Amino acid sequence: MGPRGKAMEEVIRQSEMIENDYVKKWKSEGKKVLGYTCVMTPAEVIEAAGLLPYRIRALGNPHTEMADAHLSRFNCSFCRSCLQLGLDGTYEFLDGLIESNGCDHLRGMFENWQYVKEFDFFHYLKVPHIMTRDAMEYFEGEMELYRKAIGEYFEVEITDRELLRVMEEYSLIRDKLRVLYEIREGENPGMTGAEALAVILLGSAVPAGVFLDLLDRVIEERRDTDISGYRARLILCGAATDEVDFIREIESVGGLVVTDALCYGSRAFWTVERGGEEDPLKALAHMYLENLLCPRMFDDYYSRRDYVLAAVSRANVDGAILVHNKFCDVHGVDNVQLRMDLEKNDIPVLQLEKEYGAKADLGRIKTRVQAFLEKIG
Amino acid sequence: MLFGGIDVGSLTAQAVLVEDGTIYAYKSIPVRPNPLESAGAAFGNLLEEKGLKQEDIKYVISTGYGREKIQDAKVAQENVSEISCHGMGAFSLVKDVRTIIDIGGQDAKVIKVDDRGELVDFVMNDKCAAGTGRFLEVMAKTLGVTLDELGPISQGSRNPPEMSTRCSIYAETEVIHYLQRGVSREDLAASINRSMAERVMALVRRVGVEREVMMTGGVAKNIAVRTELEKSLNVRMVNARIDPQIIGAYGAAVLAQRERGA
Repeated sequence: MGPRGKAMEEVIRQSEMIENDYVKKWKSEGKKVLGYTCVMTPAEVIEAAGLLPYRIRALGNPHTEMADAHLSRFNCSFCRSCLQLGLDGTYEFLDGLIESNGCDHLRGMFENWQYVKEFDFFHYLKVPHIMTRDAMEYFEGEMELYRKAIGEYFEVEITDRELLRVMEEYSLIRDKLRVLYEIREGENPGMTGAEALAVILLGSAVPAGVFLDLLDRVIEERRDTDISGYRARLILCGAATDEVDFIREIESVGGLVVTDALCYGSRAFWTVERGGEEDPLKALAHMYLENLLCPRMFDDYYSRRDYVLAAVSRANVDGAILVHNKFCDVHGVDNVQLRMDLEKNDIPVLQLEKEYGAKADLGRIKTRVQAFLEKIG
Repeated sequence: MLFGGIDVGSLTAQAVLVEDGTIYAYKSIPVRPNPLESAGAAFGNLLEEKGLKQEDIKYVISTGYGREKIQDAKVAQENVSEISCHGMGAFSLVKDVRTIIDIGGQDAKVIKVDDRGELVDFVMNDKCAAGTGRFLEVMAKTLGVTLDELGPISQGSRNPPEMSTRCSIYAETEVIHYLQRGVSREDLAASINRSMAERVMALVRRVGVEREVMMTGGVAKNIAVRTELEKSLNVRMVNARIDPQIIGAYGAAVLAQRERGA
């Protein structure tokens, strides 16, 4: 759909690998990598410890044979795919895991991975499901334990000063990602949805400094690009979707994904910055818990709805695709309510329930997407 | 002036030529391993039989699972989803049709169209084969009858047993179990057809029914499934009066005429 520059080529190439070249270089220098999955994991703390925070992904891996010995076929296939890669050696470069309670499927993935691989460092970060004063106090305590656990095991002092430096760097990344979204969401989009997802995915698999440099180059390349040849502008919302190919298929039938509300997409960085806290760890606790746009949070649907509606209006979309993996309870329930609210706002919706990474389903999904585009004109 | 529609599905492929909106000629064949071969065998042979060349056809639209490859090979100038094509095909046959139940080899769809035959809403089965032609094919094989016999023999049923599952794999086991207990093939055929209709009704309920209703696709030929659906819908479906399997290709040809016709 559009010309690719060198920076975007590099992003795409690196994002297609689980252990990308930057991770290999990092490891060759004797440095450590910590794996995490949930968007609610403050990666700044890991980076401030001199470690590389790596957001675990499956990149559409359809194989789950080894994982199926530990998780049932009724568990979310994204979690099973990630576990498979943990067990088959793909993630051998990890030096530890940060578990979080995003959902029970994900917890099953972490705990079975740890059961088999027995990482020397394994920490469970417990994140409240509600946002109240008590919950915040509890989470502040959890954040202290999180910092302490990493610091003690890796024998490093995570100072407030270093934490503040990393937080500033991450804040800069978020600002630049918003610029990337301006390019993507504008009247003449400068990149495809598949390219945008590749950029964000790579961002949580390389050191912050490397990503900042790549982001600058991608923004420069795409500022004046104009993607053409599509028939509708779409928003993609829903579950843990790190499948660039899935978006590519949607776009191959003419639906340009100009914005998203995905866990591996905009929800990973769109958090509102919080100022005024003297204690950086407290500031992080507030920033993450107060802005956690995930259906695992109770009593917070309206924030998620408003977030999606704001993106719909910002990107001037013609339709919405809501996707969730089979057996994903939280997104499955949320998507029903979201569909009704989008339709109330005159946004046509296509709801897709799919098996993660299943190529066999792709033809049928493409038929639905194409028919949806034909329906909305 | 002739316009073409090619529908390459999972089990069969069809080609239809229309002139002034009415069917000039058509051909239906079992699919070949490659969609292009299927298109060649259906569309190419149809042209040959009628003494026509590709350039005699003003515009061709492909549909079905092979639609993109057929367009890429320039056999068709455009591709449209089979959902829109079945909707348009049914509407063009009977202008009062608003709901179409299309059951093909590996999927089932309920389609709603407006008073111009354009797509308003649709729902499609998930990836499992329950409620599709493939389900009936597996069941017919288990009963030792042909697919064409599955509908008519169930008309002789007296006491059809309740099928406890709609999954094709489990249903096959259940049918074998009933056969071993001496349940007649007629009764089992009736149970299978009813089970199929119930599965499709779950889709129908998701989009609702607006009259008139037409059934398209290969399963529309199964009189028992059709009757069960009519009972559940409490609606008598309109008759297509043509082979229901070619309605997708016919819709594609009508859309080709709309696109480029005078």
